[in-house]
Amino acid sequence: MLWTHIILLGQGAIMTVAISAVAITVGFALGVLVCAARLSPVAGLRGLGAAYVSFFRGVPLLVMLLLIYHLLPAIGIDVPGVVAAIIGLTLSTAAYQAENLRGGFLNVGTGLVEAARMVGLNARQILLRIRLPIALRLVFPAVVNEAIMLLKASSLVSVVGVADITRDAQNLASSTYRPIEAFTIAGAYYLLLNIVLSGGGSSLSRMLGRHRA
Amino acid sequence: MSEHAAAITLEGVGKSFGDNRVLTGIDLTIRHGEVTCLLGPSGSGKSTLLRCLAFLEEHTEGIIRIAGEPMGFAPAADGGRKRLPDAAIGRVRRNLGMVFQQFNLWPHMTALGNVAEALRLVRRMDRATAEARALAQLEHVGLAHRAGHYPSELSGGQQQRVAIARALAMEPKIVLFDEPTSSLDPELTGEVLSVMRGLAQEGMTMVVVTHEIGFAAQVGEHIVFLDQGRILLEGRAAEVFQAPRHPRLAQFLQTYVDRGASLVLQE
Amino acid sequence: MNFDPALILASLPDVATGMAITILMWLGGSFMGLALGLAVSIARRWGGRWARLVLDAYVGLMRGTPFLVQLFLLYYGGPYAGLDLEPVQAGLLGLTLYSAAYFAEIFRGGFEAIPRGHVEAAVCVGLTQAQIIRRILLPEMTLLVLPSLINMFTLLVKETAVLSIITVPELTMVITAIGSANFAFAEATFLLAVSYWAIVEITGLIGRFIEGRLGRYRLV
Repeated sequence: MLWTHIILLGQGAIMTVAISAVAITVGFALGVLVCAARLSPVAGLRGLGAAYVSFFRGVPLLVMLLLIYHLLPAIGIDVPGVVAAIIGLTLSTAAYQAENLRGGFLNVGTGLVEAARMVGLNARQILLRIRLPIALRLVFPAVVNEAIMLLKASSLVSVVGVADITRDAQNLASSTYRPIEAFTIAGAYYLLLNIVLSGGGSSLSRMLGRHRA
Repeated sequence: MSEHAAAITLEGVGKSFGDNRVLTGIDLTIRHGEVTCLLGPSGSGKSTLLRCLAFLEEHTEGIIRIAGEPMGFAPAADGGRKRLPDAAIGRVRRNLGMVFQQFNLWPHMTALGNVAEALRLVRRMDRATAEARALAQLEHVGLAHRAGHYPSELSGGQQQRVAIARALAMEPKIVLFDEPTSSLDPELTGEVLSVMRGLAQEGMTMVVVTHEIGFAAQVGEHIVFLDQGRILLEGRAAEVFQAPRHPRLAQFLQTYVDRGASLVLQE
Repeated sequence: MNFDPALILASLPDVATGMAITILMWLGGSFMGLALGLAVSIARRWGGRWARLVLDAYVGLMRGTPFLVQLFLLYYGGPYAGLDLEPVQAGLLGLTLYSAAYFAEIFRGGFEAIPRGHVEAAVCVGLTQAQIIRRILLPEMTLLVLPSLINMFTLLVKETAVLSIITVPELTMVITAIGSANFAFAEATFLLAVSYWAIVEITGLIGRFIEGRLGRYRLV
C-alpha cells in the first residue's frame, strides 16, 4: 500500500524535475539577457531590464501562474497547463537569476579588468575571457540555490492542473483519506531532490573552486 | 605589596593546539610597575602567550599566577593541575585589562557606551555614575569630544584609544596589549603609542606584544624575546638592545633597523 | 477582452477585506516566525547537543520542502492528528513554522559573523555569559542581519498568496473569486499581480528606509 503510493508519486516527481529543469535552464539564458540589459550602456534597455526584474520579483509565483494560465487564452493563445506552468516558472526565475548574475559581474574586481586592459585585451575579449568566466564561477552557488528554491516553488504548478508531486499527493490524499501519509511522502520527495541538488551542487562547486575567483 | 613584587609569574607554561605546539617551558616573572615587551618574529607564540595570561587561550601545561593567584589552573595535590571554576577565573581576570589588535569595540554602542558598559553591568554603577566615570576615562585618552560617536565613525587610532579607556575604566592592576598598533595606518600609531607611554609614566604595569621596536626600546624596561615558542632571552632593555648577543635577536633587530626603525634608548 | 471598471468598484469592499487579511497573515506570521526563529537559533547555539540535533532537523525539513506541502499537511492532515484548524489559524501557524526556520538560519549566520574578539573583550572586562548574550551578541547580531530580515519580510508578503489554496480569504482568494464569479479571470489576476507588485515595492521601500536610518551603526 505504502509502496504503491511512493511509486505513484514518483511519476509526479518526474514531472516536477522535468519542468524545474527546463525552467532553470531556459530561465538562466533569459536571465543572461535581462542582466545584459540591466548592465547595458543604453538607458532604455537598463530601464526595461530593471522593470522586468522588479515586476517578476514583485508578483507572487502563484499569481503569476494564474495570470499566465488565464491571460493566454484570453488573448487567443490556448496552451496546456504544463506549458503555462513552465512559462511562469521561467519568467520568474529569470528575474532572480539576472540579479544574481549582475551581482557576480559587479563583484569581478576592477583590478582584474585593469590588468587585462594593460596587457592589451580589447573590450570584447575582456568580457568573454575575463569578466564572464569569473562572474559565472562567482554565481554558481547562487544558481544551485535558485534551483533548490525553484524546485520547491514548482509545487505551485499543481494549481494550474499540472500533475507534479504535489498534485499527485492531493489526488492520493482525497482518494485514500490519508493526507498525512500522502503529503509526508510528497515532502520526502522534495527533500530528497533538494539533498541531491545541493550535494551535486557543492561537489561541482568544489571542482570549480580550484580556480576560485 | 612592594613596588617590584611579582605581578605575574609563569612556571613551565606550555600550549599546544592539537599536535601543533606553540609554547614550550615558559618561565617568566613580570613585576609590578614595569613595562614588559614581548618581542619575536611572527609565529613565535608571543600573542598566544599574552592570551594565555588572560585565559582567553587555555595553557596546556604549567601554572600562571596573576597577583599571586593561579589563573585557570591551580596545582593539584597529585602534582598535576586542576581546572578552576569560571567564577574564580573571572575574579582573577579582574586584575587584568586587555587591549586587542583589532580593537574589538562593540559596534552597536557609542564610545561612551563601550567604556560605561562594564561599569554598569559588572560594577553595578547607575547609568549617570558610570557615564561620568567613562567620560573621565575618555578624557584621559584625549577623546572626551568623541564620546557620542559610534566606532564606525572613529579612526583606527581613536578606536584603539577608546579600547584602552574601556580597559582602564575597570581599574586593572595590569594591562595587556596584544599588538595594539599592528592594524593601524602608520600615521595613526603615534597617538596610541603616546597614550601607552603616558600610562607607563603613571607607573602602570603593562605587558605589550609589539612589533614597534622603537617603542620597546624607549618605553620597555623588561624585554622578552621569543622564538619558536620558547624564551630565547630576556633582560633589561639596555642590555638587550645595546648588545644583542644572541644571533637570532641581532638578525631580528636588523630587519627593523633596515626598515628605518630607530633604536634610541631611554635615558 | 472586455475590461469593466464598474466590476472593480463594486467589489472594492471585498478587496479591502482581502487586503486586510493578507496584511494580518503577513505581519502575524512573520513576527511570530521571527520570535520563534530567534528562540530556535538561541537554543541551537546554547541549548546543548540534543536541542541542536532536533532543531537542525526542524530547520532542514522546513527549508527543504515546499511551503504548500507543509500547509496541506497541516490543514488536511491536521484533523487526522487531532489538530482541527480553521484556514486562518492553519495559515498563521503554517507561516510561522515555515518562516521561523528561515529566520533561525539568518540568526545563526549573524551569530557566526560576530568577531570572536568582541566576545573576548566582554569577557576581559568581566561580563557574564548571560550579559554577553543579552548586551553584546543579540544587539550586534540584530544589526548584522537586519538587511536579511527585511529581505525575508518582503519575501513573506508573496508567500501569503499561497494561503489562498487552503481557502484563507486573503487578497488572492478574494480577487480570483470575483474573477470566477464574473468570468473575468484575466482581468482579476492582472489586477492581483499589480497589487502585489505595489505591495512588494512599498515594503521594499520601507525596508530600505529603515536600513538607511540604521546606517550609523554600520559594523566595522
